Amino acid sequence: MGWGGMIAQSLDKQLPHGVADLFFNDAARKRAVERALADTFARWGYSEIIPPMFEYYESLAAEAGPQLREEIYRFFDRDGRTLALRADFTIPTARIVGTKLFDRAMPLRFFYIGSVFRYKEPQAGVRREFTQAGIELIGANTADADAEAIALAMTALSATGLNDFLFTLSNAAFLQATLCDLALSDADDTALRDAIRRKNATALAQRLAALNLDTTRTRALAQLPTLWGNADVLDRAICINDDARAAVERLRDVVARLAQFGLADFVTLDLAENRGMAYYTGILFEGFVRGLGFAVASGGRYDHLIAHFGHDLPAVGFAIGVERVMMLQRTRASIAPDVIAQICDARVFDARAGGQAVEVDVSNRDDAALREYARVRGAREIWWRDGRIESVIASEAKQSPNRKLETPALACGASVALSAKNASSQ
Amino acid sequence: MSNLTIALAKGRLLNPSIKLFESFGYDLRAARDSRKLVIGSQGAQFVLAKPMDVPIYVEYGAADVGIVGQDALRERGANLYEPLVLGYGACRLVVAGKREPGDAEWKTLAGLRVATKYPRVTKQYFSARGLSAEIIEVYGSVELAPMVGLADLIVDVVDTGHTLRENGLVELDEIFKSQAALIVNRAAHTLRVSEIRSLIEKINGLQINADKLG
Repeated sequence: MGWGGMIAQSLDKQLPHGVADLFFNDAARKRAVERALADTFARWGYSEIIPPMFEYYESLAAEAGPQLREEIYRFFDRDGRTLALRADFTIPTARIVGTKLFDRAMPLRFFYIGSVFRYKEPQAGVRREFTQAGIELIGANTADADAEAIALAMTALSATGLNDFLFTLSNAAFLQATLCDLALSDADDTALRDAIRRKNATALAQRLAALNLDTTRTRALAQLPTLWGNADVLDRAICINDDARAAVERLRDVVARLAQFGLADFVTLDLAENRGMAYYTGILFEGFVRGLGFAVASGGRYDHLIAHFGHDLPAVGFAIGVERVMMLQRTRASIAPDVIAQICDARVFDARAGGQAVEVDVSNRDDAALREYARVRGAREIWWRDGRIESVIASEAKQSPNRKLETPALACGASVALSAKNASSQ
Repeated sequence: MSNLTIALAKGRLLNPSIKLFESFGYDLRAARDSRKLVIGSQGAQFVLAKPMDVPIYVEYGAADVGIVGQDALRERGANLYEPLVLGYGACRLVVAGKREPGDAEWKTLAGLRVATKYPRVTKQYFSARGLSAEIIEVYGSVELAPMVGLADLIVDVVDTGHTLRENGLVELDEIFKSQAALIVNRAAHTLRVSEIRSLIEKINGLQINADKLG
């Protein structure tokens, strides 16, 4: 169709779709979020795991599910083997544990922070390269482990300054149990799950009418779009077998523990939820913060993923989207030095050793130019060559470039404060 | 349901949607009479948007809930909840062309050209049948495309089928039926449980009453 394309431009000064350069305030804020998260995870007894950025596609695609598998970046090494960039941290961690750490004292507690790569359209801070920070708690299939993961996700968000959140708690095992032994065709199964996922009661009722299942099963499935809200959904849920009952009881246990931690007000329930990774087998949760229409944290229990790598170990984990936290934050990191010194003398080294950020003029500026530079950089003081200390008067110009970062997109509803102290003292 | 931001699709769904919310006591006269895009009433905020934009407003949380046709919803493929259909705005998305009724040959043709306002749904439909259709995205008067030789077929919504017949086109296949639906942002669904539940219950109550009245 004619000359539809634009004239080809040299790419050397451009960026591919879905990646970003971070510097100044953005880079500082990102690191501040990462530090707050890493510190929190460490205080809960988690140590860092650093898997490679790329490995064999076969490892990373294991149990990834069709959607994530499509999104994995793939390339070839020189021997023609297919490599891939990591698309999450859970699968690499499962590989490491399943192949190397399976005989250690359980549970293992790992945290991670780093880039993951997915070939899809950027959405609300999730670019094609984006940053996940999260944990995996491996080797314990208990309500205590589930509750710890959820409480830690809440505490971690709170550590980044986000307190206005609510988590949706669900159990993949409930839907699994309610759908078990149905022997549906792929098309029927997909349509049924899609209607449930979208809470489309009308479409679900039509599907169920066409499938002609027994009455109890039909009622249990038809009820799913209404099973969300407070803990009363656990009493209302129709359980058609022991597995479904166990799934509901597990949720009850987890909610009870969260209540003990003082976190009950931060949870709502949803028994129809079946989003998330294909490897999830139990508790599922997503954290939402007022002001963003997308989940900031999501996680769940995956009891059979590690088995793929040789040893069957139950596990639960979550990831927080670092860029999404940054979108919601009201705080601002500073990249301004405390002091600008005209010369690099002993004072400067002492001050740095004492924890101050001291920047030395290496451009031989005259006094007026150095004053102007100190003002632009936002320094508090200038230390002159002769030992004088001068305070710098903050100017408006310095503030304005960052202003847009301070106001979140939306501000609605009442604010709630997380009692993180309660949570961590348990 | 106060304080919710509600996106309403403009166009043929707007009037019945306004009536729906007026029956709950909201004052939406400004939506009928003016060109205002944002209307506040009793703590709720109504946003009037193009149908194709409503799923996006709601998916991103710029609106907590929305009312939009399922045709726009399917085309946008947004990650949302759609708890209710509303019983108005019924239409069908169809494949149509100048061919004879009953002519199935188009289903095997290579190099089909299809004009549509629904490129995503159209692509899914044809590729699911192994057809490599060339999809031509147009923004209005889709029926024109086969008449002037721009395309062999069109994919578009039909209400009565009147416009198709007037332009010498026949319906060849139905892709899906559509009607107005209530859609809910996933974060709002968690963060504003009571408001969303109250809205769903109100609409449900209304529909039950309407059914009783026949």
